[in-house]
Amino acid sequence: MDIRQATNANLLNLPENYTFKYYLYHALTWPELSYVAVDPRGRIVGYILAKIGHVTSISVLRPYRRLGLANKLMKQSQEAMVAHYNASHITLHVRKSNRAAISLYRDTLGFEVHAMEKGYYADGEDAYGMRYLFNKPETIA
Amino acid sequence: MAHPPPKHRQLPDKETKLFRELLTQYELKQYKKGIKAADTILKKFPNHGETLALKALTLHSSLPEPLTVSAVPKKEEAEAMARLAIKKDITSHITWHVLGILAKSRKDWDEASRAFAMARKQDPDNIPLIRDSIALLTHTRQYSAALAARHHYLLLRPPIRASWFALVIAHQLNGDLDEALQVYNDYQTTLKEEGATGPEKSQILLHVIRICIEAGKDQEGLDKLRQGVKDKIISPRGECTLLKAQMFANLGRQEDALQTYQELLEQNSDNLEYYKGYLQNKGIDLSAELTEESRSKILETLSGFAESFPRSAAPRRLALDYSTGDKFRELAKAYIVKGLERGVPSLFVDVKGVYTDSDKMKIVGEIVEEIVAKLEKDASLSDDDSISPPTVLLWAYYFLSLHLSHPSQTTPDHTRSLTLLDQALEHTPTLPELYMAKAMVLKRSGDLLNAAYEMEKARLLDGQDRFLNGKAAKYWLRAGEIKKSEELLAMFTKKDLTPTQDLTDLQCLWFLQEQGDSYRNQGNLAMALKRYQALATVFQDYEDDQYDFHTYCMRRMTLGAYISLMRYEDQLRSHPGYFKGALSAIEIYTKVFDDPSITEEKISPEEEAERKKQAKKAQKAEAKAKKAAATSGEKADPPVPDADPTGIQLLKTETPLEDALKLWKPLERLAGERIETWLAGYEILRRQKLYLAALKALKTAQSISPSNPTLHYQILNFNKITSSNTELPESIKSVIKSELPSLLSTSPEEFSSSFLEKAKSPEELYEGARGLLQLNGSTEKVKDVLLKLGDKSTKPSIEYMTKSLDLFRSISESKEDIEQLRSKYAEKLPSAWVFKSSSEIDKQIKEFEKSIEGYQGEKSVEQSEKK
Repeated sequence: MDIRQATNANLLNLPENYTFKYYLYHALTWPELSYVAVDPRGRIVGYILAKIGHVTSISVLRPYRRLGLANKLMKQSQEAMVAHYNASHITLHVRKSNRAAISLYRDTLGFEVHAMEKGYYADGEDAYGMRYLFNKPETIA
Repeated sequence: MAHPPPKHRQLPDKETKLFRELLTQYELKQYKKGIKAADTILKKFPNHGETLALKALTLHSSLPEPLTVSAVPKKEEAEAMARLAIKKDITSHITWHVLGILAKSRKDWDEASRAFAMARKQDPDNIPLIRDSIALLTHTRQYSAALAARHHYLLLRPPIRASWFALVIAHQLNGDLDEALQVYNDYQTTLKEEGATGPEKSQILLHVIRICIEAGKDQEGLDKLRQGVKDKIISPRGECTLLKAQMFANLGRQEDALQTYQELLEQNSDNLEYYKGYLQNKGIDLSAELTEESRSKILETLSGFAESFPRSAAPRRLALDYSTGDKFRELAKAYIVKGLERGVPSLFVDVKGVYTDSDKMKIVGEIVEEIVAKLEKDASLSDDDSISPPTVLLWAYYFLSLHLSHPSQTTPDHTRSLTLLDQALEHTPTLPELYMAKAMVLKRSGDLLNAAYEMEKARLLDGQDRFLNGKAAKYWLRAGEIKKSEELLAMFTKKDLTPTQDLTDLQCLWFLQEQGDSYRNQGNLAMALKRYQALATVFQDYEDDQYDFHTYCMRRMTLGAYISLMRYEDQLRSHPGYFKGALSAIEIYTKVFDDPSITEEKISPEEEAERKKQAKKAQKAEAKAKKAAATSGEKADPPVPDADPTGIQLLKTETPLEDALKLWKPLERLAGERIETWLAGYEILRRQKLYLAALKALKTAQSISPSNPTLHYQILNFNKITSSNTELPESIKSVIKSELPSLLSTSPEEFSSSFLEKAKSPEELYEGARGLLQLNGSTEKVKDVLLKLGDKSTKPSIEYMTKSLDLFRSISESKEDIEQLRSKYAEKLPSAWVFKSSSEIDKQIKEFEKSIEGYQGEKSVEQSEKK
């Protein structure tokens, strides 16, 4: 994946940002777990940055919503976690105010809230810690 | 070491003990204690080189990052001490090693290389030193020396598993794949993979298989892969299967390859590469001109996949690329209807990929017009009544407006585009996408201020959305409102930094480029250059970032990812982001060379007053901060301030062409296939009077695209400057004489007139006019050419019309003629502000202000900040 482009998508979309090196660190530690979505010209329009059992960051550019990309990115990463690392669960943090994302994780992807972390974000907002267990009977195909 | 240490290095027992403690304290990062221990030794033995070196290293490591004001002299002290240490003990591996480490942290790779080499001469078997050297040699791409060091390391530490795989990588980087495989195979038979974790084994094996493929040993790779899957070392998911498919394909086993690509598609049916791989193995060469037969074969295959993977748009989208005529119409219609019904905002961006084919563009337009007409009669598009026609109509208006205003259209219809969007807004006034589209159409029509205003409206509909925030900021930048854009950006950047500082720290390329452009358009070349140089620095940081991974990846065994990183870094600056920034900076440097007076600051009295005000404010703030620090008892220690906040020192360079060349060199190496590289190179080289190199740039450009309009101008320019130069040495003259005819086969006059006869695009007309000026063409003639940019049959181009008007203003002395050109352009693009007269602009600004009366922009900014 072109990391420089992923940083661009992150900067365009999210308030939580990382420098190039942090993406490198993920790609060079767990190379199978991060995915990107590209348009037909090869430009990155969405990405998931993940480590074993945890999603560091996931984002889809605003004009590329309603295509189910976040869902597809998450599933690819989840399947890879099981196949390559035999992961038992996957966690992520989400802003308490981000209802759209919470709904995606909970209703579409089967995550549940397992913790509330006060003041998790730099601006003081609380985070929900969400978790997905892989050994559930309806484990993704 | 066999020899006893030289006398000047020996210390009494007490100090020897202290010295050892110092080493430990450095490793444990107990810097204060370390410095104290060093000082105790140095009190008695001020000339002890190794202690001096270690003190320098400890002091240097203790400094804050980023460097603060109070740390600057300490850093200098450490650097000087490290040099002094060498003088006191030139045969010590420690003094040299420390000098190298300090150079490395300055990213002075040359000095670091020399120092490490000297250190290794003193102590060839020093393990940490060899490890540091390998990283540095690899980083500086001295692969054969890195390989030798790796070998040496392995001899000293043979039982370490990681060293063997690191040797495999060292051979691969050095270009010897057979040897790389040999080491791996030998290792397999001599040592068991003890201690490696499952994922590590998998990384190693997959990478060895990749080496097999690169070495053309597909059968060997396939055998290893089978065994690995059987032994459950590698998971068949993902890359393993892709490698298998590639090996089958390379071995000519098409049936197996097809089967494997089918498996891959079942794992991920959204990957275009898998579809392409499948089709290639069906015996279709996708890179060649397609026959009717292969087209129908492709479409048949894709339609099968579309059925198997109903949730994937990929096979249906690919079919649009490979179909033509009526078949395309049928497929495109189904694709567009589906997208409109789902309300996919990116549908247009997705479909416009086919617009390189003008027939397809026309068909898409017809399809959408038809859909709009049908929906306006309130008829549903499908039998399914559950989808409300009004919503679909909304997205159809949106699509059609983007289609009609697209730059590929010969006569983009901005007016109708805007009408359609207003109709859509009547239906749904709260959809940000509609305002974004309006903004884009207005931008294309040249009305940058209203474009920014519409984007601002989109942003205000969802103040929490950073994408909209960034877009609005970008549009304000394009409208020249730098301050306004910074106010918006600050809503999402760190509160204790300026938005510019935070976005620079976060390596935000779009911002650096756009703000640079905005400054440039306002004539502030110093700030523009500062931003473009910041952009180049980001790429330097990307390059430097790989350093730690030379060691890290060998430990983590992520060998394949590491090799990908090395290849990525090697072509880093071929990236369009670097390309654009570098070309923008080069243009400024050539301007500075041509006219150094532009580096003189021209500031109006108001600006000067404003600056004084700012300076006073800053002084007050500083005094306040000092006072606050004094009362709180803490010493204020701010980061080192920017020594050139206005960029003026950068602009006032003594060596503009050398500075430009520095940015250009990576392009020459990495973006040699792009003609812009050589066109920019020519502009530097001819100013350096390196005529043969300039000639080579022209010839390379010609080999890429002989009909390039800028190349046409440059050939005429080259002919002019070399034929009028009487000081050229004979040898150079004769080369030019023999080589030039391949570029300029007729007389310059004929060359120009035949070009102008055929010139149609705005770019051709503009460059043709510039070429004419190289022949001392009359202003009248130049005007006639430039007027054509305003003709009905010419595609409108704000960029070239602006350039043309600027060019003409710089050569014409007739106010009437300039006015004639301006009014013709204004007629062609009535919304474009750049072509309006000053009285019209005044009127327009009043209208704009009236239209935004009651506009709650500022207030809402505050509100959403509070949220």
